[in-house]
Amino acid sequence: MKAWLKFLPSIINKSIISDTMKLYDIDFNILKANITPRGGKMLVDISGPQESESISFMEEKGIEVTPVLKVVKKDSEKCFECGACVSLCPVNAIGIMDNWDIDIDDQKCIGCGFCISSCPTRAISLME
Amino acid sequence: MKTIEEINQKIKEGEAVVVTAAEMTQIVQQKGSKTAAQEIDVVTTGTFGAMCSSGAFLNFGHSDPPVKMTKTYLNGVEAYSGLAAVDSYLGATQINQNPDIGLDYGGAHVIEDLIRGKEVELIAEAYGTDCYPLKKIKTYITLDNINQATMINPRNCYQNYAVAVNSTEETLYTYMGTLLPNYGNVTYSSAGELSPLINDPYLETLGVGSRIFLCGTEGYIIGEGTQHFTEADRHKGVPVTPSGTLMLKGDLKKMNPDYVRGGTMPRYGPTLYVGAGVPIPILNEEIALRTAISDEDIKCRIFDYGVPRRSRPVVKETNYKELKSGKIEINGMEVPTSPLSSYKRAALVAEELKKWIEKGDFFLSSPVKMLPNQGQIVKPLNISKPSKMVKDIESKPVIITHPTDPVKEVALKLVENNINHLPVVDSNGRLAGIVTSWDIADAVARGKTKLEEVMTRKVIIAREDESVDIIARRIDKHNISGLPIVDKDSKVKGMITAEDISRLIGKNK
Ligand code: SF4
Ligand code: SF4
Repeated sequence: MKAWLKFLPSIINKSIISDTMKLYDIDFNILKANITPRGGKMLVDISGPQESESISFMEEKGIEVTPVLKVVKKDSEKCFECGACVSLCPVNAIGIMDNWDIDIDDQKCIGCGFCISSCPTRAISLME
Repeated sequence: MKTIEEINQKIKEGEAVVVTAAEMTQIVQQKGSKTAAQEIDVVTTGTFGAMCSSGAFLNFGHSDPPVKMTKTYLNGVEAYSGLAAVDSYLGATQINQNPDIGLDYGGAHVIEDLIRGKEVELIAEAYGTDCYPLKKIKTYITLDNINQATMINPRNCYQNYAVAVNSTEETLYTYMGTLLPNYGNVTYSSAGELSPLINDPYLETLGVGSRIFLCGTEGYIIGEGTQHFTEADRHKGVPVTPSGTLMLKGDLKKMNPDYVRGGTMPRYGPTLYVGAGVPIPILNEEIALRTAISDEDIKCRIFDYGVPRRSRPVVKETNYKELKSGKIEINGMEVPTSPLSSYKRAALVAEELKKWIEKGDFFLSSPVKMLPNQGQIVKPLNISKPSKMVKDIESKPVIITHPTDPVKEVALKLVENNINHLPVVDSNGRLAGIVTSWDIADAVARGKTKLEEVMTRKVIIAREDESVDIIARRIDKHNISGLPIVDKDSKVKGMITAEDISRLIGKNK
C-alpha cells in the first residue's frame, strides 16, 4: 500500500524505518521524501505479509501514517483527453482507454509529478 | 453523380445519409467505393488540436467620452489595436503582461473565458485626439456586451503534421509538447483518418465559403490558410508531411466551450485547442474512395526536434495506426507515443456535425472559389545578416588540461591565463570533462588533489556547425558561463563564453 509518513522533528534522527524493515521483512519503497530539521514527510509504498503490523509499529514509534489510495487526481472538467501526459509517465500508469478516455492507474502511479507539469490545462494535481 | 444542391434537398427532406470519416472507412471496406458513393451523401470529419495560429477580432463599442485605443489588454494579455478606434485582434499565443503569470494565462485562455461567458478586464491606453479625448480606460467586458467577437484563424486544420522525437540528452519543451531525452517519447498531433483535409487530399470539395463546424457553431472556410503547401510527397493521395491549411471564421458569441480550450504547452506558451469539422459531400466514387482512407494508409514522418533548425532530420516514416497503438519502435527501442490533439473530442465533433446535418439544421454550401491545390510552396524567411556559426569565431588558442593533472597545476593555469573554465581532454585529444575555478576552490576546500575527482564529466558543448544564437540560448537555459567547442570527432577546438557571444551578437545588430 501507499502511504504518507509524517515525522516530528524529535524522531527525525532515529532509525525507525530501518528497524521496521528488519523486524517485519517488508518491501519499503520511498517514492518521495522531504526531510528538514523541522520534521519531514515521505510518500512510501509498503508491501509484504506483515504490512499492517509494520504500520502499527511505525505509529507506535511516533510516525503519523496516512494511507493513500490516490496519489494524483485528474479533474475531469479540465482534462480534454489530449493524451500529452501519456508518454511521459515513467511507470506507464496513464492509459488511453478504448473510448479514448485517459485513465490514471492509482496502483501504478508513484507520484513523480511529470504528468502534472506536462498537462496543458493543469488538469492533474498531487493529492495531499 | 450527385450535386451539392441534390444533397441539400435530401437534407431538407431528412433523407440524407451522413456518416463520419471513421465509419466511411469501414463502409467502403465492406461494400466497395461504388456502392458507398451511391448510398452515402456526406462524410463528416473532425479535429481537436492545438492551433496556435488562431485569434479573434473584438469590437468593444465606443465609450463616452470616446477613446481611440492604441494598446489594449484583456485580463493582462495584450491584443493588437492598430486598427481604428475600438477594434482589436487578440492572438491565441500572446502571453500575459504580468511576468508572474507569463505563459500560464495567455490569449487562448482569454478566448476560452469569453466563450464561457466570463467577465474579462479590459484596459485600454490612448494618446488622445480632438475626436477621441480619453487617454485611458479600465472596465469589464463580456461577450454579450461587446458588438462583435469574430474568430478568424489564419492557419488551422493542417493536412497531416510532423511527428516529434528528441535525440539529445536533455528534455525539450516544444510546441510538440514535452520531449524526453534519448528518444524517450514520441508526440503526434494529427487526428489521422478523421482529420478534415486528409479526407479531401486534393481539395476537390472545399473552398472559400464552405460551411463547417467551428468550436460548436457553424463557421466558414474563408480561404487557404497561411503556409498552405501543395507540393509534399504523397502516399495514396495523402501528403506525408504538413501541407494544406485553412483560414477559418466563426462567431465567438455562439461557440460552445466543450469544443474549444485554452491551454499552455509547458515552457513553450499558450495555444488554442480548436474543434473543427468539415463536411465532405460525396459527389462521386473518387471522393468516396478518398474519404475511406484508414489510419494505416496515412503515412507521416518522425522528425528529430533535438535539431533546432528549420529542416529537422527525419528519423523514420510511420503511420497513424502505429502511432495510435501507443508505442513505436525507434532504433530497436520501444518508445511510448502521445497524441497532442484530443481524438475523443475530434470524434465528438464529427458526430455532432453528423447530427446537425441529419436533423436538417446544417446545409452544405458550394464553394465560391476553390482552394489552390498545386504550385503552392512555403518560402523561408531569409535573415538579412545570416546567423554566425561557431566555427566562424576567432577563438583563442585552446588551453587544455588532462584528467590526471594535479589540482594545483590546474589552478595555476587558470590564474596565468586569466580564465574561468578549462576543458579536460583525454590522451586522444577528446573531451573528457570541464573544470571551473569554482571546482578548484571546492577541491582545495575538501582536500582533493586529483583533477579527476573534481571535474564535471557531463559537459554541455557547442558544435562547430551550430549557430551562435543557438549557443546563446543554451548558455541562458543552463545558466552557465562558457562551453567547449568540439568537432565531429569530439576533439576540443576552443572555448566559447557568454562574453564572446554578447560581443558577437552585439556586433551583429
Ligand atoms: S495532458 Fe492533461 S488534458 Fe491532456 S489527457 Fe493528460 S490530463 Fe487530460
Ligand atoms: S505522477 Fe508520475 S507516476 Fe503518477 S501518473 Fe503522473 S507521471 Fe505517472
